[in-house]
Amino acid sequence: MSVTARIAIGWLYLVLCGCMAPEGYEPHVPEGDPRQGREVLAELECGVCHVIPGVPGARGRVGPALADYKRNVYIAGRYPNDPDILTRFVRDAPSMSPDTAMPAIEMSEAQARDIAAYLYSL
Amino acid sequence: MTAPAHGLPNSLPRPPGELQQLESVWEPPKGWRILSAVNNTWIGLFYVGAALLFLVLGGILALMMRLQLAVPENDLIDFDLYNQLFTMHGSVMMFLFAVPVVEAIGILLLPAMLGARDLPFPRLSAYAFWAYFVGGLVFFATIFFDVAPDGGWFMYPPLTSFEFSPGLRSDFWLLGIGFIEISAIAGAIEIVVGILRTRPPGMTLDKMPVYVWAMLIVGGMIIFGFPPVILATALLELERAFHWPFFIAEQGGDPVLWQHLFWLFGHPDVYIIFLPAAGLVSMIVPTMAQIPLVGYRWVVLAIVATGFISFALWVHHMFATGMPHLTTSFFSAASMAVAIPAGIQVFAWIATLRRGRVQLATPTWFILGFFGIFVLGGLTGVMLAVAPYDWQVHDTYFVVAHLHYVLIGGMVFPVFAGIYYWAPFVSGRPLSERMGKWACGLMFGGFNLAFFPMHISGLLGMPRRVWTYSDTLGWDIWNLLSTIGAFVLAAGFFIALLDLLLHLRPAGKVNVNPWNAGTLEWLPLDNYGVRSIPRITSREPLWDTPSLREEVDRGQHYLPNTVTGHRETIVTSPIDARPEYLLKLPGPSWLPVLAGVGTAAFFLFLTVKMFVASALGGIVALVSIFKWLWKSEPAPTAKLYHIGEGIELPDHASGSKSHSWWAMVVLMLVDGSIFASLVFAYFYLWTITQGWPPAPFDIPSLSWTVGCALLWSLSSLLFAIAKVLLRKAASRAAICGVIVSAILCVIAAFATNMHTFTTANVQPAEHAYGAVIYALLAWQGLHGVLLALMGSYTIARLIAGLLDDRRRNTFDNTRLMWHYSVAQGVVALAVLQVPRLFS
Amino acid sequence: MSEQHVQSVLHSAPGSGAELLEELGMVLYVGAALIFVVVMGLLLHAVFSRRLRASARAWVIGGGIVFPAVTLFVLLTYSLAVGSAVSALNSGTALQLLLNCFGIDSNARIPPPLPGTLRINVVGKQWWWEVRYRAADGELRNVPLANELRIPVDEPVELMVSSGDVIHSFWVPSLAGKVDMIPGRTNRLVVRTSEPGIYRGQCAEYCGGQHALMALYVVAEPRERFYDWLRNQAQPARAPTDPFLRSGYDAFMQGRCPECHTVRGTPAEGTSGPDLTHIGGRHSLAAGVLKNHIGTMAGWIAGSQDVKPGNLMPDSEIHTGSQLRALAAWLESLE
Repeated sequence: MSVTARIAIGWLYLVLCGCMAPEGYEPHVPEGDPRQGREVLAELECGVCHVIPGVPGARGRVGPALADYKRNVYIAGRYPNDPDILTRFVRDAPSMSPDTAMPAIEMSEAQARDIAAYLYSL
Repeated sequence: MTAPAHGLPNSLPRPPGELQQLESVWEPPKGWRILSAVNNTWIGLFYVGAALLFLVLGGILALMMRLQLAVPENDLIDFDLYNQLFTMHGSVMMFLFAVPVVEAIGILLLPAMLGARDLPFPRLSAYAFWAYFVGGLVFFATIFFDVAPDGGWFMYPPLTSFEFSPGLRSDFWLLGIGFIEISAIAGAIEIVVGILRTRPPGMTLDKMPVYVWAMLIVGGMIIFGFPPVILATALLELERAFHWPFFIAEQGGDPVLWQHLFWLFGHPDVYIIFLPAAGLVSMIVPTMAQIPLVGYRWVVLAIVATGFISFALWVHHMFATGMPHLTTSFFSAASMAVAIPAGIQVFAWIATLRRGRVQLATPTWFILGFFGIFVLGGLTGVMLAVAPYDWQVHDTYFVVAHLHYVLIGGMVFPVFAGIYYWAPFVSGRPLSERMGKWACGLMFGGFNLAFFPMHISGLLGMPRRVWTYSDTLGWDIWNLLSTIGAFVLAAGFFIALLDLLLHLRPAGKVNVNPWNAGTLEWLPLDNYGVRSIPRITSREPLWDTPSLREEVDRGQHYLPNTVTGHRETIVTSPIDARPEYLLKLPGPSWLPVLAGVGTAAFFLFLTVKMFVASALGGIVALVSIFKWLWKSEPAPTAKLYHIGEGIELPDHASGSKSHSWWAMVVLMLVDGSIFASLVFAYFYLWTITQGWPPAPFDIPSLSWTVGCALLWSLSSLLFAIAKVLLRKAASRAAICGVIVSAILCVIAAFATNMHTFTTANVQPAEHAYGAVIYALLAWQGLHGVLLALMGSYTIARLIAGLLDDRRRNTFDNTRLMWHYSVAQGVVALAVLQVPRLFS
Repeated sequence: MSEQHVQSVLHSAPGSGAELLEELGMVLYVGAALIFVVVMGLLLHAVFSRRLRASARAWVIGGGIVFPAVTLFVLLTYSLAVGSAVSALNSGTALQLLLNCFGIDSNARIPPPLPGTLRINVVGKQWWWEVRYRAADGELRNVPLANELRIPVDEPVELMVSSGDVIHSFWVPSLAGKVDMIPGRTNRLVVRTSEPGIYRGQCAEYCGGQHALMALYVVAEPRERFYDWLRNQAQPARAPTDPFLRSGYDAFMQGRCPECHTVRGTPAEGTSGPDLTHIGGRHSLAAGVLKNHIGTMAGWIAGSQDVKPGNLMPDSEIHTGSQLRALAAWLESLE
């Protein structure tokens, strides 16, 4: 590979990292695996109601679009956007927000964590 | 200089000024006026160019689809656009590229291959081209306005009928494709009559190049194959516009009727596309091997056999519709049988390549690509003919793979081989070998990468015509490969077409034979075609008579000049090619352009229900056509013209010797096939209905039927009397009077016909029985109008003094159509009485 | 839960007609590959070697006529045998064999049921499948369900397929070849498998906008379980047991749902949409497009036009969030 090519690739890498770098606050989900999370989202077909980048066919408009989720200030307009709260909300929204349209969907705690991790990775 | 060869038709030296006169008569129009050219070398070029344009357009649609399917659950293109894309891709490729391109190549090559100055009906070719080109462009443009058809290229009702496809989309397909079929038939008439009547003296049927044989058979197949789909489109349009329920099950119709009519066309159509390409291969292979084709007679026989068998295969497109086993077994066997003539040709080509020493130029590489792809497509074709296996792979990507293997392999590769092979024939110099080989390599590799994986995605359960698929089905990788392959294939096309744009410059005067071919199109050519029309004694005249190129160019063969002072060519007898008369050919004219554009406008404005504009288009077309016909039979002179070897020909013929009589007969075959398809529809509906006519409807009244038949026959009788009067040179007034009364009789007969049909007590929109009998009535009514028009035109020519006992082609044609229409009307009346035999 | 099988011609179920067809396919692939290689070899040899002898008789007649004629004759005989075998899967008596020779039959006449055979009517609609069971014993008549068939293993099942609107094609590649569903006609397809599991199928004839999203599942179960299930399907829906489900029931009845859907045992008697009496027990929603759980149910009710644009079910906009959840929960409770 020529020197120019190496420089170009290095530069491209930096730019891409820069694009993806979070601005300020970065929520972190302990023990959550974003890659797993994406698969769970696909498996449970959450895309019926949400637009979720990176999940095939996720183009629903029943619930909010989940792009750039980490920058939301509140969850469901009432709770701080915190990893533990999001994990709980993903599993059982009605218990936290009785008027929500989002049902409690059967999944494990670990799956919910993975989902939260993925959402924060967007 | 060499002494004049003995026994050649004309001697040297040629008189001064002869060549100049020939040149000036055939001078093509200058600048943009070239669009008014009518001779087939020019129209053929326009035609090939337009077909390639549609290939590019259809290809772009395919690339869009491939992008959408590259990954599962893709959001790039929504279902609504995707459904329009695949419908348009199929329709554009089949109707605007494949069929036109094979006719176009025929119109371009045939005059030269037959050593004729032109085919017999230059203006008809021009008309067919312009109607196709303008209509095709408008049809394609529907995709930009979101009104493109979306019912799939075979448009199965009820999906495409008024209930499930309201709006204009399906109408664009039905009317758009409907008249493109008419343009295809016009082309076929030109090709068939051209091959049968403008061969060079001595080119008996068994000396015709294989390509010419293929085009003759293909012309015949168009004549019998297109009518069923013309009828089907008309019936579906009647159903959509007026709710005549031909295909609506609840009202006695049957959606499967459409499938029969469509595939009765659709399968021969595959061979209409393939046989000309196979003919091209049979020309290129012997040249590249420098050896005559092995098994010429077998190959010709194979082509003829394919033509026949192709009409007995249509049901293999319908194996999944729930046929009895006996039916599927028969069509399964017939579908396999067609592999035999294909095998004959493949082995004849291989044997030829064995015997010769093969020159590896670009055309050869394309031919090798053709072999690789087509043989595999043929083998999967045999698989599809196995009915039980077809139940699995029918309507899956396996079929998509198969049909592209046979169509791209069987037709597109030979056509590109042909483009590289015949480019010097057009422009006097070859295309770029380097670009050609790149194009061929990319096309071959890209094609296989695109389409081979489709066999697998099909077997993995992927149906065709899906705009999206789930990532759980295991189809991802195969689709991604297909998409990559499609773009590689497109790159190959791009290079080949770029090569054409850069290096093809049509030249008036061409004198090359770069591949050392043996057939007549490699004689020195100019705007007038060959300088003199060669006398033929063998199948590869340029190989067997090495001096032929010079002899022809020096004017030593027939008709080295213009003897009548007009454009002209020799008409020969259909079997043994004996010179019969000189046909005066028309020069450049805007009338065919006007007529073509008018026809396209008529149909397209009708589709969008702009009736005034549509009527204007129709009037422009009709007036243009009548105007060009008006001068089409110039006054015969009493002279005989010497063409060489002591042969003296008249400049006119009438009756069955005339080329126009042949065209009329061909047209009547088309007409009769449409009518036969309609009668088929009648009996088909009968077989699926319990009780016929279904209660509470009736058979039309017998006494009215008899009366009506008598009236129709009377009009025929009157026209027969007109013929006798014309022969006896009776006064014009008397003949006119008889024709007028024949027209009046037709009007009376049709009025009676209408009343007769009302005695069946059924409305056309009420039940399929009513629909089909009123369709018969409408078809007869159309003929009534036609007879009135033709009759009036005949009278007009009589009054103008343009028609007499000798100059009577108009009269003869009208007479043929008259008797045919009457016979058809009587048969229709009889058909409706058949149920009486069973009640 | 039983194993889900791949929707593939190459993964046929044991004991099914598709197994015979897969075998037939193998013969075809191997034969075609052999012929292809030989022909290409002959071609390349012919092109790349110097002048060779080639008698027209040997090549054209031998290669072009005799060879294909013999091969095709053998193939035709073999394929006819396979065709009859596929249709005669359930043959026991000579009479049945005769009937089965016309196993895929049509002509708008509905053939008499094969004695002792379970018959299921499947009607294709844009873009879902209406399924009706007509078991032999009087008690279990007319069990409607949608987008899912259950069949007992090791037993031939007769499917009578037709259409309610445009042409569709019934195709479950692991079980049998496809057969078209045509308005005004009824076609017959006999399916059988000896392996329990879930088999996916998909509409194979282009049927308009969402042809791509018209799938179904065939669930093959042991005989006992199958008949238990069938008896259960014949029962009307259970009444809602708690206030939350009750509010879902009310939302259903007060909305426009009953205009199109039937829930047996309730006033909902619409017929243009699928019967929902036991929807909670099905494997998929929206004709094989979505898995069936409370989340997808709510999403489908509220956003069916996003999931499957152009389908006949309007997006429901009248429910509040909790009503939607309750409605989904009630429907999910209908097992």
